[in-house]
Amino acid sequence: MAEIESESGLKIVDAFDLDPELRALLRPGELVEGIRGQYHHLPRYFYEIPSREAAREIRVTPHFGLNEFLLVDLKEAARVRAFPRYVPCAIRIAAFYLERLREATGAPVHLAVNGGYRSPAHKLSVAATPHMWGTAADVYKIGTVVLRDRASIETYNRVIEDLTDDLYVMPYGHEIGKADDHIHVDLGYVTVVPREISEDRLEGPQDKPRFAFEERRRGDRRGWPREPLPEVLPAAAHAGSTRSESQK
Amino acid sequence: MAKPQVEPPEEAAVRQSVAKAEQSLYASVLAIRDRHELERLGIAFYDAETTLQWSYNADAMFHAASTMKLAVLLAVFRQHTRGELALEEPVHVRNKFLSIHDRKPYMLDINRDTEGEVFERLGRTMSVEQLAYHMITSSSNFATNLLVDVVGVPVIQTALDELKIEGIKVLRGVEDQAAFEAGLNNEVTANGLLKLLRLVEEGKAYGEEASARMREILLDQRFKSGIPAGLPQAARVAHKSGNISTVHHDAGIVYLEGRKPYVLVILTQFPSETGARTAVADVSRDIYECLAGMNGG
Repeated sequence: MAEIESESGLKIVDAFDLDPELRALLRPGELVEGIRGQYHHLPRYFYEIPSREAAREIRVTPHFGLNEFLLVDLKEAARVRAFPRYVPCAIRIAAFYLERLREATGAPVHLAVNGGYRSPAHKLSVAATPHMWGTAADVYKIGTVVLRDRASIETYNRVIEDLTDDLYVMPYGHEIGKADDHIHVDLGYVTVVPREISEDRLEGPQDKPRFAFEERRRGDRRGWPREPLPEVLPAAAHAGSTRSESQK
Repeated sequence: MAKPQVEPPEEAAVRQSVAKAEQSLYASVLAIRDRHELERLGIAFYDAETTLQWSYNADAMFHAASTMKLAVLLAVFRQHTRGELALEEPVHVRNKFLSIHDRKPYMLDINRDTEGEVFERLGRTMSVEQLAYHMITSSSNFATNLLVDVVGVPVIQTALDELKIEGIKVLRGVEDQAAFEAGLNNEVTANGLLKLLRLVEEGKAYGEEASARMREILLDQRFKSGIPAGLPQAARVAHKSGNISTVHHDAGIVYLEGRKPYVLVILTQFPSETGARTAVADVSRDIYECLAGMNGG
């Protein structure tokens, strides 16, 4: 597997090259149904963050560290929480808009836990939430204002709406699709193909290889350790692990 | 014709002493019930030193109030012991819960004084162990609801069933007003709580290590107006109290110098106009004095 480094120095990975467990959790390129019945492809290209220290040190914008987009609790799959961690490359665009929000408010913008990137295996990853694309953010505090009432949420929602037409803000309310203890902003289903990536490699998701040797060849190409394969097709095993994660 | 068996004089003396103590306790408990105008009183008691077991109305169901947090603690350590939940796992401190009655979201009316450290972490994370500690020691409702979400009500009930603890019914977290109005409440009996605490004391609640950690947390209890208020200063009590407008409970393990511990559960219910009094402390004092008398002390 060729190592690709982005301009920021972060390694970029094609999630199809990740180990089977991670691939089953991140589900690159897979179609996911949204709440209105529309379908979207999950992101395929991710930044690899080697360590907690790196996550703390790397700034995506002057006021946002990469770690702020990785704050999750035990609702996220344990494997996804373990370093090296992976975050969709579109995270930079989300950070760019949050930086503009910070400039507009003149106050620190605090992302909630589980309010940045959530993998498809995250327990809050219901339908095709843009959090799974790394293009959504839940803000629970701006400056010293904790956003947990109609007045504060609607005030800052207006600030965001005035700022740009690119961002969607969730209206205040208690029902699904509304927010009452944070501001939800998102850019929709943006996927980023970094300029370092060559798209002539058209490999797509292969949930059901016809033969076990296909998976073995794939492993050889990517340098996976050669282990005796179980009698069941590995892809079937992947599908099984995906299901069990989502049931956790 | 067989000769009637003659009881050895020492055993007869012990039996008479126990019978006298039980009669005395019974009379004293009735007096406390009347003096404090209690609507209901439930007591269960087990002394590991004398193996004396005594109860009054111990299978009557009461609103659990915060004593249900003992069951949540048990479930947390069940999951931990099974390797399904690490105590250092981070939990998002978020004030939003779903009612078990109508599945509508509700928020806790957070009291900054009692929720203190948990409230300070709003929007951030706390570990499972930190939440368990605050759930017990400062009776944090916020921490409790977060942990109920983490382990799930079915797991709490499974833990109780696995350990054959009858008389504790946990349906929901705390301050679920819609469920309360629909009559969906957590309930306990004195015997149920006694069984749970005996297992913790005897190291049988998911092993010695888990039981020891639960005892440590319970020993750090900050609210001492219940069982500890009826005991000498030197007594150490691993306990959990429970208060709402019409009930005041306490359930704990009492450690006294030079003897094995005893487990005591006192549940009281009073009319709303009466307000909480010192009935729990009075019963605790009576039981302590009764044991001290039996020990010749």
